[in-house]
Amino acid sequence: MHLLRYIAGRLVVYALVIVFALTVLFFVPRLGPTDPVEAMLAKVASQGAYMDPAQVDKLRQSLIDTFGLGGSLWEQYGAFVNRIIFSADFGPSLSMYPTPVMELIWNALPWTFGLLLSSTLIAWVLGNFVGLLSGWRPNSNSSRVMEGIAICLYPIPYYILALVLSILFSYVWKIFPLTTTIRGAPWSWELVSSIVWNSFLPAMSIVIVVFGWWVISVKAQTTALKEEEFARYARLKGLSDGRILTRYILPNALLPQITFLALQIGLMFNGSLITEILFDYPGLGLLIYTAVLQGDFNLLMGTISLSVIAVATATMIIDLIYPLLDPRIRHR
Amino acid sequence: MISIDNVTVGYGTAGFITAVDQVSLTIGDNEIIGIAGESGSGKSTLMRAVYGDFSTGLGIKSGTIKGRFTDAATGQVIEKPSSQFRDLWWDQISYIPQGSMSVLNPLMKIEQQVIDGLPKRERGGGRKALRQRIATFLAGFGLEENVLDAYPHQLSGGMRQRVLVAIAAFVNPRLILADEPTTALDVVVQKKILLMMVEIQRRLQNTLVLVSHDLGVHYQITDRLVIMYKGRIVEAGRTADIFANPQHDYTRNLIASLPRLHGKRAVDRVGAGA
Repeated sequence: MHLLRYIAGRLVVYALVIVFALTVLFFVPRLGPTDPVEAMLAKVASQGAYMDPAQVDKLRQSLIDTFGLGGSLWEQYGAFVNRIIFSADFGPSLSMYPTPVMELIWNALPWTFGLLLSSTLIAWVLGNFVGLLSGWRPNSNSSRVMEGIAICLYPIPYYILALVLSILFSYVWKIFPLTTTIRGAPWSWELVSSIVWNSFLPAMSIVIVVFGWWVISVKAQTTALKEEEFARYARLKGLSDGRILTRYILPNALLPQITFLALQIGLMFNGSLITEILFDYPGLGLLIYTAVLQGDFNLLMGTISLSVIAVATATMIIDLIYPLLDPRIRHR
Repeated sequence: MISIDNVTVGYGTAGFITAVDQVSLTIGDNEIIGIAGESGSGKSTLMRAVYGDFSTGLGIKSGTIKGRFTDAATGQVIEKPSSQFRDLWWDQISYIPQGSMSVLNPLMKIEQQVIDGLPKRERGGGRKALRQRIATFLAGFGLEENVLDAYPHQLSGGMRQRVLVAIAAFVNPRLILADEPTTALDVVVQKKILLMMVEIQRRLQNTLVLVSHDLGVHYQITDRLVIMYKGRIVEAGRTADIFANPQHDYTRNLIASLPRLHGKRAVDRVGAGA
């Protein structure tokens, strides 16, 4: 009963967050100075075709109709809610007209998700492992070295690190490709290796930057937990170090780390923008970048809505599995 | 069982701070021995040294603490200093901590916390049979079987303390050390738990060392009593004798400060008379 109420409450919050975010997303670009219809007309004009003013007006009107930009703001909002919430249709892309926005997103999404999710998880697992061990033996040499590395990596701004990696490993030593080009037939070995090869550097840049933070935070957790009474009691029971570490310290240290992981996934898409621009990676971030530069309302709406939904879903899933991990929440 | 010979125990390596000063004491088989004294008198430090818990800078400066145990299964006699007791923990020796909220792992069920650390001889017969034995054992403490599937936060303070006593006793050890096992509890629960501890000791015929600042607790269950003050033993003897005829001023003060059923406590009367 409690569990059902917990889940129901969480779902309501989830829906509210998405509706609120979509509403904000609808209004913000319409407050900006770029007008996609005028941009389109300018593009047509710049291609050298001559049109008399009456023809231009007619074209403008038909563009406004196709883009759904006619009527007052509120009428547009009504139509928007109708389309987005009930049929998940973001319309055609304005800059890559007439490709539907959803199609562009579906092509880009797996790239972003694959890259960010895997690198975030790799950093999390590695960071927790190293942090746990160095918190357990804080005075050993290897622990000091690891902490030193973590402290050095942690404050580096992401774009600096990404640029340095890119310059060192693709320009100075031509080990990895400078821009992303994926080749190979679908589901072939060549394709897989090409993906891994091209994703390695962007993934490393994320892993390195996030890793340091995980090490530092888990180390602090572990050092504190080691002095907890239950750890002392376990030691006085004569339990082995390995058992105390895996059954007593680790589960308790991981609890807050799981919350941090949820927050990290929430911030994932921010990072994707810079990563994908710097490494020319064909994901959602690059799509957002294009959409902003071209004043492509529909594409912008689609990409950002999708990242909002993805983040809200990730956080909700973590919230829902949390009670499975912490009995103190389950039984409340 | 344990012989403490002129031992000085303290903390720190560079600047040594003495906590227990030239103490000698023999702890025999099949007895309940109490160690009493105020906070900072060295009673807990002495207990840690006897248990062999030389962590956080605790060390023996001079003198020896030696133990002599007979393995019930093999009949083998084990003799070693307390600094090497580690492999006897949760085998020949067990320990009852003061049961605050955080002594038990908050993410582990009680059943696993009973099993964790048990010596091989107490584990036999598979998981199910073991669970059954633990359940029966806990029933003797007035704890139902569903406690085994509970997490620590679901138990009351009294239940948690009973679980801790049960965990230490289920090991079937020759020596149990208890550090303020009833301090955080109300007197009714306290009495219940003390009686359980006596019952266990009488059944196992082993040795129970009880550290407490509460003379009332010692009066109820100990056979012998040791009074510590400023790191030294100021008085030791049969508990009944000490209460009937205290020799040292400090002991007299301690006894006088006990609340009484009729009239004022002795200290108040002394104060009123002065």
